[in-house]
Amino acid sequence: MDADVTIIGMGPAGLQAAIHSSRKKAKTLVLGKMENSAIYPTELENYLGYRGGSGKELLASGAEQARSFGASLLQEDVISVEKAEGGFILRLESGKEVKSKALVFAPGISRKKLNIPGEKEFFGKGVSYCATCDCNFYKEKPVAIIGEASEAASSAELMTHYASKVYWVAKELKANQNMVDMALGAGANLVQSQPKTVRGDQKVTGLELEDGTVLEVNGVFIELGSRSSADLAMDVGVLPDPEGHLKVDEECGTGVEGVFACGDITGKPWQLARAVGQGAVAGLNAASYARSG
Amino acid sequence: MAGKVVELSDSTFDKFVESNKVVMVDCWAAWCRPCLMLAPVVEELAEELAGKVGVAKLNVDENPGISMRFGISAIPTMLVFKDGVMKEPLVGVRPKAEIKNYLMSL
Repeated sequence: MDADVTIIGMGPAGLQAAIHSSRKKAKTLVLGKMENSAIYPTELENYLGYRGGSGKELLASGAEQARSFGASLLQEDVISVEKAEGGFILRLESGKEVKSKALVFAPGISRKKLNIPGEKEFFGKGVSYCATCDCNFYKEKPVAIIGEASEAASSAELMTHYASKVYWVAKELKANQNMVDMALGAGANLVQSQPKTVRGDQKVTGLELEDGTVLEVNGVFIELGSRSSADLAMDVGVLPDPEGHLKVDEECGTGVEGVFACGDITGKPWQLARAVGQGAVAGLNAASYARSG
Repeated sequence: MAGKVVELSDSTFDKFVESNKVVMVDCWAAWCRPCLMLAPVVEELAEELAGKVGVAKLNVDENPGISMRFGISAIPTMLVFKDGVMKEPLVGVRPKAEIKNYLMSL
């Protein structure tokens, strides 16, 4: 699959970028899951012209509008992205590959913490938010991966190469079947339950589930949502700040050629109006960049 | 070496901790993306806290002794010492102001 402009994120910034990019006749692809947008479950009250109405309706209408200008929308997470000749190659959770001349990061800010008892207390003492960082510390030890989407699937698969036993705790599976098959095929054990408490003394000794079962593990990896935008940005050479924000210039450029960013990922205030404004700027500039190349 | 991040190994670690009143050691690895996000902050802290805090880094991949000794199980972890005594470490990427305030409060 080829695109001039690929937009990572299907929230207001990404959809506005898609509208402007496709109106400029750039072949535009939007990737992500609309329901992951922060405004999806909210009621709108401070956006110009909207006195009421839901985030869900706004996004659905925006998606339709973007399609009407020719943009394609694909409800899939991006697993990796790399620089290639003439642009970038993105790998999606279904295994599909996309080649794109320009990229727009509009993934929003995702929730990383689970907020269960023991999570904060044992952070760095068995609780981790980064399997790729900490896998080496759990060689031949039992671990649990918590999360329902692609990042958990990918971490579960990774940990099977290190840990003595891998439990993948997910109430429902929201990852693509391809990712699920990869994790389970590698030997991860799916536990369809909700985590309740991280247990331990000086270090983690177990994970208690909602039904009272305790998984005896030394590591608990909390891997919610899709692969972090910070990771994907670093794949193409954009270094986020310590809070995970990507710095942009007034053109919404990131400093890396062909890579733009907009919306909450570029910093506060995390407001719909700002996201939409930046989305327009990023979409126009990404389209100009792609079409000039 | 004032103002620079000192690169430590398992064998130079103790001497560095002993020879500075307050010490912060960023334990990192090349394959750890959050560690790379933290690195510029650690460099800035070394400059800003020169003469007050000894700022160093240690590659846990190449120096497993220190990670085992201090029970490091997540990176980045910033080990912190005052007068040779270990204080509460900082785990994960933190904003510069938070790290600086913590070190200055010791």
